[in-house]
Amino acid sequence: MGARSTLAELLWAEKYRPRSLREIVNQEEIVKRLQVFVKEKNMPHLLFAGPPGTGKTTAAHALAHDLYGEDYRLYMLELNASDERGIDVIRTKVKEFARSKLPANVPFKIVLLDEADNMTADAQQALRRLMEMYVDVTRFILIANYPSKIIEPIQSRCAVFRFTQLKKEDVISRLKWICSNERVSCDDRGLEAIYEVSEGDMRKAINILQAAAALGEVNVSNVYKVVGLATPAEVRALLKSALFEGDFLKARENLRKLMVTYGLSGVDIIKQLHREIFSSEVSIPEEMRVEIADYLGEIQFRLVEGADDEIQLSALLAKLVLLGKPLRQQPQAKPTKVK
Amino acid sequence: MPQERKIPWVVKYRPSRIADVVNQEEAKKVFLGWLDSWLRGKPERKAALLYGPPGSGKTSLVEAAAKEYGLELLEMNASDYRRSSDIERIAVASSRGASLTGARSKIILLDEVDGISATADRGALDAILNLIDKSAHPVVLIANDPWDPKLRELREACLLIEFKRLTKTEIKKVLQSICKSERLECEDEALEFIAERAEGDLRSAINDLEALGEGFGRVTYALARSVLGYRNRELDSFEVVRRILTSKYAWQARAAASQTDLAPDELIQWINENIPRQAADPEDLWRAYESLSKADIYMARIVRSGSWDLLAYASDMMTAGVALAIRNPQYKFKWVKYSFPERIRVMAKTREVRQIRDDLAKVIAQHLKCSTAVAKSEVIPLLRVIFENNPEYAAKLALGLGLSDSMIRYLSERNGDRIAKRVEELRVELRKSLLEGLESPTKKGVEKAEAPAKKALGKKGAKSSGGLESFFKK
Repeated sequence: MGARSTLAELLWAEKYRPRSLREIVNQEEIVKRLQVFVKEKNMPHLLFAGPPGTGKTTAAHALAHDLYGEDYRLYMLELNASDERGIDVIRTKVKEFARSKLPANVPFKIVLLDEADNMTADAQQALRRLMEMYVDVTRFILIANYPSKIIEPIQSRCAVFRFTQLKKEDVISRLKWICSNERVSCDDRGLEAIYEVSEGDMRKAINILQAAAALGEVNVSNVYKVVGLATPAEVRALLKSALFEGDFLKARENLRKLMVTYGLSGVDIIKQLHREIFSSEVSIPEEMRVEIADYLGEIQFRLVEGADDEIQLSALLAKLVLLGKPLRQQPQAKPTKVK
Repeated sequence: MPQERKIPWVVKYRPSRIADVVNQEEAKKVFLGWLDSWLRGKPERKAALLYGPPGSGKTSLVEAAAKEYGLELLEMNASDYRRSSDIERIAVASSRGASLTGARSKIILLDEVDGISATADRGALDAILNLIDKSAHPVVLIANDPWDPKLRELREACLLIEFKRLTKTEIKKVLQSICKSERLECEDEALEFIAERAEGDLRSAINDLEALGEGFGRVTYALARSVLGYRNRELDSFEVVRRILTSKYAWQARAAASQTDLAPDELIQWINENIPRQAADPEDLWRAYESLSKADIYMARIVRSGSWDLLAYASDMMTAGVALAIRNPQYKFKWVKYSFPERIRVMAKTREVRQIRDDLAKVIAQHLKCSTAVAKSEVIPLLRVIFENNPEYAAKLALGLGLSDSMIRYLSERNGDRIAKRVEELRVELRKSLLEGLESPTKKGVEKAEAPAKKALGKKGAKSSGGLESFFKK
């Protein structure tokens, strides 16, 4: 692989992240307007909205970098709301930083709240007050996948920037550029496959690229191999024991392993199962694939409502055990076993 | 569904002789005296009401006495004698039994009489009184609380026999002897802890011991604390779960739930754990889980909206809803082995590996400026692929990200040691090349690798990941 003299490596998604607004090639309109803020050394509160991997976090950091220089992190508080979502964080950490004295050399400080749509409603209310009270010394940048989950009064205090899905050519040319920098060989079909499985999410695409490169070169077979290997074996095992063996307890054991050892959330597991049931390597009667997908959607909806991961996924397992009953009763169902 | 037919310890170690019933000497004397008077044919009172706290040995004494006296035990639970016709059936059987054989060959045992509803089961209470009146055999009633107003008439018809709450020392002694028979290694402090929190309830103490012993092999105090410590004193959770899951009527399931101190979010975990042990039929299983799922959704809505009024519906769905969904229980309830919520056990067992995983997710989140959830679901699986398939490259990444040895082993069981060793070598090499001075031909490579690492780690990063610091620690 690439430069042999390199002793320590980083994740490419970090290594090739644009540091300055000038380096960002997509989202031209947005970048142009952000550069005006830099030039005037002033900006309103900002809300960056859009799908994952479209450059929201990168743009926020680049903006701060261009405003304050290399040591921009001295003047910025970064929080990821999905890790610190409660009202306490807002009342303590954020409040303290927001009202602290303004260093002489900067026009304002920045609070960056990533995944802000994961904040509780209470925390958002508290945040709203801080945004008003300390606007003269502190500006907020909120980042969200779903801006509708940000309460109205906050939205109305922010300039909203909508990041759009990256174009296929843009993602692929970026991946190509990384490959040439790393001296990794790649072919177009491999890169296209990465674009397909990462659904336009640049961070995901670069991560997959790096793992595929670690297998030798970036081609279609390595890309799918990586994606397959990155899916824990327990996902398929769970499907097998529930649907084909009707063994609820065994399936639940796999479920717990996925949640506890791998730390996957209920929604993560549902998404992986969704991929599995439509995989050509798993033989399920066609109409049953659809039936399962329907129920996966139902369970994911319940989880989004705030229900408990293990209980809801256990309900899913029970459904699979029930759906699989006819498969288990006919002996000729043998070849439909999961590989 | 594969099911181990193991006998629960509370059944296995149930006393088979009167002498084995722990303590309760006073109660034994009165009870045996009453039984003797029956056998001699002149009972003062035809029925006895045994009362006292749960797990103090009431049922055990009756069973042991029946065995020793060679009497057949005709046992009924609250769920069996709710309808007066059921009780009348026994009454007929018991009077006929006497006249046909002439032998006093039975004890009629009615357990859990305080579970009868005063209004809904008026017929049942009358039927029991009638049974006592007609019976040709000793009738034993059992209750936790005999002072319930609805039991007044029954009280008056019975000889009252009180069971004391067992002391901690008595409970501990029983636990010790079980440990010995099971060859279970158990710290003295752990037994002390189990006995203490059982508050006189031997059955719950034995259940606790079994849960700990089964899951872990060796029972330490720390383990007992972490597994049992999360809940407060409750009316034996196993018993509550049994009652709920075997209920035939909605009121039974709801009444059972009202007798526990488990918080609703704990109770739902107990039920979740044990549904598949009770419901073997896929239809039942699915129906039961649909109901539990609804209960869970109501709970989520309570949290979101703060409207605690919804709790009543959540509770209905997780108790009555689940119980009535199970229409064809495959095993007689006595043989179903209920379990501790495995989730709590697993959490205690896997604390270390979860800690490593969470720390790793934090390091990655810091580097990639993403949430730890994204790190866990998107990045760690890909890192695993790299660590499993390309150890040399993995070692470079581990060095660049500043991963600890345990994180490396978490990412690859197979290559972990090898990669960790290689990281050490790389670290030495890197240090050497830095010391060799700026003219060194490898300088460029080192700087290239180092510059982004330094930048990315920043002040906070270096502290938590130890990446660059550890380059120089030797």
